Amino acid sequence: MQKKSSPVNWSGFGFFLVCVGIVEILARKGLLTSYVPPPSEIFSALWTGLINGDISSQIGVTLSVYVRGLFLATTSAIFIGILMGTYKPVFDSLKIIVEFLRPVPSVAIIPLAILFFGLGPTMRISVITYAAFWPLLINTIYGVRAIDPQALDVARNFGITGGEALWRVTLPSALAGITTGFRVSATIALVVTITTELIAGNNGVGFYISQMEQANRLPPMYAAIILTGIMGYLLNTFYFALERRFVFWTPAARDRVT
Amino acid sequence: MRFFFNRGNGLGVGTVAALLIIWELYGRIHPTVYVPAFSTVFVTFIHEWFSPTFGQQAVPSLGRMIIGYTCASCIGIAIGIFIGTFKRLYQLLDPVLQFWRAIPATAIIPVGILLIGIGDPMKWVVIAFGSIWPILINTADGARLVPTERLDTARIFGLSPLETLVRVIVPSAAPMIAAGMRTGLSIAFIMIVVSEMIGSTDGLGYYILQAQRTFAIPEMYGGIALLAILGYLLNTLFVWCEHKVLAWHYGQTTRPA
Repeated sequence: MQKKSSPVNWSGFGFFLVCVGIVEILARKGLLTSYVPPPSEIFSALWTGLINGDISSQIGVTLSVYVRGLFLATTSAIFIGILMGTYKPVFDSLKIIVEFLRPVPSVAIIPLAILFFGLGPTMRISVITYAAFWPLLINTIYGVRAIDPQALDVARNFGITGGEALWRVTLPSALAGITTGFRVSATIALVVTITTELIAGNNGVGFYISQMEQANRLPPMYAAIILTGIMGYLLNTFYFALERRFVFWTPAARDRVT
Repeated sequence: MRFFFNRGNGLGVGTVAALLIIWELYGRIHPTVYVPAFSTVFVTFIHEWFSPTFGQQAVPSLGRMIIGYTCASCIGIAIGIFIGTFKRLYQLLDPVLQFWRAIPATAIIPVGILLIGIGDPMKWVVIAFGSIWPILINTADGARLVPTERLDTARIFGLSPLETLVRVIVPSAAPMIAAGMRTGLSIAFIMIVVSEMIGSTDGLGYYILQAQRTFAIPEMYGGIALLAILGYLLNTLFVWCEHKVLAWHYGQTTRPA
C-alpha cells in the first residue's frame, strides 16, 4: 500500500463536498433535468425518512433477510467446502456440478425462487443464499487445500487426528480463505437482497426504491439508493473490524501488523 | 478452470448423471407444474433456442451487454490510467469513487429508467455504470502501483512520457486491469438480466420472468439454462483471451498450478 501523508484524506473529502456543492447549485438553477433534485433535498428526505420510520422500517426488513440468507450460505458453504477440501472423492463427485452452477447469474434464478416460494422473505433468502454460497465455497476449498502439510504432521505427532485435527488445525488455517470468501459473499448478498426487493419484493429498501420511482417522488428514491451504499460501507467496515479482532493469525492480518 | 477439470472426472460425471436421472424420475412419478421432467426441459430448450427465439431474445441481450461492457472497459481503463498516473488526483478522487462503488449497481436501474426511459440506451448506460467501477478502480491501482524501478529504468533510457505510458505503465497495470475486467464482466451479466426484468419488452431477463408469470415452466428452466451456458462461455472466452494477451505475465511470475 501507498504511504499516506495524513491518516485522513482531507483533500479527497473536501473534493467530495465540492462536487456535492456544484450539483446543488446546478440543480437549484435548473440546469440539470427535473429528475435530479438538489442533494440537500435528498439528504433532508433521508433524514425525515429515517426519523418518521418510512425508510428506517425498511432497513430492518432488508437487514433481516440479508442476515438470514448470508448465515445460511456461510454455514453450508463452509461445511461443504471443508468436506470437498478434505476428502478427494467428495471433491471429485461434486466438482462438475459446482463448475456448472457457479456461473448461473444469481438473479436468473429469481423467477424459479418466486415459483417455489412466492414473493415473501423466503424467496429472497433462497436467492441470497444461492448467490453468496459460491465465492465462500471456492475460497473455503482453496483455504483447506492451502494448509501447510507440516502443521497436520505436527498435529499427528501430538496424537491429534480426525475431528480434533479438523477443529484445531484445518479450520484455523482455512479461516484465511474463508474470511476472504466471506467478504466477497457479504457484498454480493447485499446487492442481491436489494435486487430481489427491486424486482419482486413486497417490502424492504429495494422495494421502497421502486415504489418511490413509480410514485415519482424523487428525493426519497435517491435517499434510499444512497442509503444502500451507506449500508454496504458500514457492513464492510464492521466485518473488517471483526476480522481484525478474531482472525488475527492469517497472513493478511500479519501483513497489517508488520 | 484447471482447478476443476483434472483427474477423477468419472465420479463427477457419475454424480451429474445420477442427479439428472433422479430429476427425470421425480418429474415422471410426481408430475407437478413446478418440476417438469428433465427430458421435457431438454426438448423445450432445443425447441426454443434452436429457433428464431434465440435471435429475438438472446441476441438483443448479448448486444446490449457487449455495448455496455465495451464502453465501461474503454472509459474505465482510460480514466483509471489517468487517475492512477497522477497520485494527487487519485487522492482527490478516491472518496468520490468509493462512494459510487459502494452503491449496489442494480439500485441505479430505477434512476436509469427515469432519466433515459426503458429503451436500449438505458440498458447500455446501466450496464456500463455497473461494470465500470471495478475496472476503473483496479486500473487506477495498477497504474499507481507500478514498481518504481521500472519507472526509473524508463527515465534512464530517456523514454518520453507517452512512451513510458504505453510501454511501462500500461503493461505493468495489465494484470490488475484484467482482474477488474473479469469482475466487471460478471456484473455486466447481472445488470443485463436485472435491467431486462425491470424494464424491457425483450431479452433473456424479460423472457424468463415472463415465462414464470405465464406458467411456461419448461421455458423458464430452459431460459435459466441458456443464461448459465452463456455465462460460462463468456467467462471461459475471457479467461482464454486473458491468457493469450497476458502470456508474458504468467511466464514471468510462477503461477500455482
